[in-house]
Amino acid sequence: MSTDQIIKKYIKDAKTIVHGNMIMFEVTTDKILSVCRELYDRQLPLKIISAFDERKEKDLFKVAYVFGLPKQNMFLVPYIMVKDEFPSLTPLIHQASNYERKIYTFFGLKPTGHPSLRTLILHENWPANIFPLRKDFKWNSRPKLANGDFQFRKLEGEGVYEIPVGPVHAGIIEPGHFRFSVLGEEILLLEPRLGYSHKGSEKLFEELPLQDKIKLSERISGDSSFSHSLAFCLALESLGGIKISSRTNYLRVIFAELERLSNHIGDIGAIMVDTGYNFGGASGARLKEVVMQINEELTGSRFLRGVSKVGGINATLTTESIEKLIKSLNQLENDFKEVIHIAENTTTLLLRLKKTGVLQAEVARDHGVIGVAGKAIGFEMDARVDYPYAAYNQLQLKIATEKGGDVYARFEVRIKEVYSSIELIKQSLRKLSQSNNDDTKAITFKKNSYAIGIVEGWRGDIIYLISTDSNGEISRVDVRDPSFLNWAALGFAGKGNMVPDFPLINKSFNLSYSGNDL
Amino acid sequence: METILFFIIQIILIPLISPFFIGLTRKVKARMQNRTGASPFQPYKDLWKLFHKDEVISVDASWIFKAAPYIIFSTTIIIGASIPLITTLTTNSYMGDFLVIVYLIALGTFFLALAGLDTGGAFGGFASSREMVVSALTEGGLILSLLILALISHSTNLTTITSTISSLSYLNFAPVILAFLSFIISILAENNRYPFDNPATHLELTMIHEAMILEYSGKKLALMEWASANKYLIFIALGVNLFIPWGIATSLNWVTTLTALVIFLTKVSVFCILIATLESSIAKLRFFKLPSLLFTSLVFCIIALGLII
Repeated sequence: MSTDQIIKKYIKDAKTIVHGNMIMFEVTTDKILSVCRELYDRQLPLKIISAFDERKEKDLFKVAYVFGLPKQNMFLVPYIMVKDEFPSLTPLIHQASNYERKIYTFFGLKPTGHPSLRTLILHENWPANIFPLRKDFKWNSRPKLANGDFQFRKLEGEGVYEIPVGPVHAGIIEPGHFRFSVLGEEILLLEPRLGYSHKGSEKLFEELPLQDKIKLSERISGDSSFSHSLAFCLALESLGGIKISSRTNYLRVIFAELERLSNHIGDIGAIMVDTGYNFGGASGARLKEVVMQINEELTGSRFLRGVSKVGGINATLTTESIEKLIKSLNQLENDFKEVIHIAENTTTLLLRLKKTGVLQAEVARDHGVIGVAGKAIGFEMDARVDYPYAAYNQLQLKIATEKGGDVYARFEVRIKEVYSSIELIKQSLRKLSQSNNDDTKAITFKKNSYAIGIVEGWRGDIIYLISTDSNGEISRVDVRDPSFLNWAALGFAGKGNMVPDFPLINKSFNLSYSGNDL
Repeated sequence: METILFFIIQIILIPLISPFFIGLTRKVKARMQNRTGASPFQPYKDLWKLFHKDEVISVDASWIFKAAPYIIFSTTIIIGASIPLITTLTTNSYMGDFLVIVYLIALGTFFLALAGLDTGGAFGGFASSREMVVSALTEGGLILSLLILALISHSTNLTTITSTISSLSYLNFAPVILAFLSFIISILAENNRYPFDNPATHLELTMIHEAMILEYSGKKLALMEWASANKYLIFIALGVNLFIPWGIATSLNWVTTLTALVIFLTKVSVFCILIATLESSIAKLRFFKLPSLLFTSLVFCIIALGLII
């Protein structure tokens, strides 16, 4: 479909502005809810809701609702201009809840009609009247500590007790607090509380020089360094109108899949460790290390940092290293197959994985669950297919899905994606041309424009929404890690399970704290 | 005279060699996972390290928290001195009774559970509750399996049982084998091994034994760790000496005693390797499935009882 046809089909007569693959159109505040609901009802996924401080130019804030058009690689973006409050979409589309709470916390815009309006990410020690993403807040100012109040949801009844876990955990993992209300060993209520690793990343994106912005994007969630920086670079390239050579596109696929490979293999091992199946755990850790060492050999970084750049890629693959890579991948695939074969024949392991931590499809749909957790319920969505970037539209890829929605289904989705990643890397290596004709001219960005970068990280799709001001400088970067959506649904997967199964359920999601807290 | 000598030897022997068998089990597990693993002597170094560390004790801790490590450690020493290890000539008629042994073990478990509750931490609390569930359900299988031996040998004294079983005709061995199977399940449950508990886990929410000693540090933690190593060895020693007692010294001279010691150490090592193999090849069972496994242990005993009577 062409842009005009899309406009005709979905928007009709509104005045539209097209920025790259975003079709933006202004809606009045009284109509926005019905417009959004209509797009949602027509099966367009809500990808992100974001606010922009445009008080300097227009004396108003912009709140934009980004809907994706799967398979078209286009985004429909109705937006409203508001002063200090906006109508809450949450009663109509539940997954809007946390986006609106975030806007409320960081911009001080009140979503009227929000059913449970609380601040998100920032804790009670942050003053309630300081909104860090407003342009008049200086990034390096340090407000006085406040003494706010925070209440967990309370369950009462005979024998019900609370278990506080975290934010500091045993083992080397990120900080997060979990509050369990438990009856005996059964979890009645699970409330995660995050924000402990909030670093002000979105504000920092507005301040740092371009080169450091890319470095920052690599550190939003350290295990997804390449996917995050790639999504950011894609958005920047769309703003700069930069064309990418086919070789770079294939290299991007190769590194993105290597990242997926190392993390999925690591997670498969970690899931087995958490059931106490040590053989599988040790094998997972070993095979992950193999991929990490491939990464280091090819790029100098085990986490693929410093590889992404705007308009190209900082890595060269020689014929020699390609041959070596194919050899190590074949070896890896064989070893992995053997480990999985043994694991799939271990009854005690399967007993622990099956029917544990079931996430209901309805709950998942309402919370907009994406990525591995979504695929494990059978949601066929994958940014590599729906919004193809880099060279994915020239490669064969089948979205890995399962039906159960339990830990086993998430385990299986990861296994399938490991095989498909290896296959994708091999396909890309075969098609990799030698010529490198990347644009190397100085980068200038379109003025007063917007762009979206979307990449299927190993957890799910990562979105970067960027805007530029009247000087062509980047004025706002909104990052949406898949964890932001999936954290909201984790509590539902834990409910009704036993306390000792929770670490396993949590590991099967393996969400990023840092990517959520920003 | 010799009896006193052996009593003293046994007091020293159990705590002296028990950390090695924990280390051996870990080493074998590591090899099964394609890892090199630490030396089997690593637990000695760990104990040494812990004994030289300072302790942190919660302000909410009562005397129970402070006394528990000493009580638990001393029960294992007393039990270690009272059971037949390398000779059947140490008939200790008061302490060597299996009921005394079983309830001395229970005393240790009782104080361990109290200590877990004492500081009021969430993890210690639910670990103690789980421990009590598991040990209450284990008790049946444990007592019955030993009772079967007592019925066969017409004595509840462990040393007498050992001598009777070693001279038992093969034709009458079926109930002993069934009781042994039941006892093995009890060994795993009482020592918090697979599939009941994962001694190597770092996940507080899944722990049983480890969460009860979570609040301990330094010297008291060392005592706790040492006591659980002793308990592990005691159970394995009971298993190999009561159910497969061949090789134990029946006369007192240096040659037979040393041979018996070597045979004993070999049997215990083989048992550790078997446990390590089991722990490497299965996942931990879900907590609510544990009662059925313990019930199985009880069923073995009841069948064995039927065979005797």
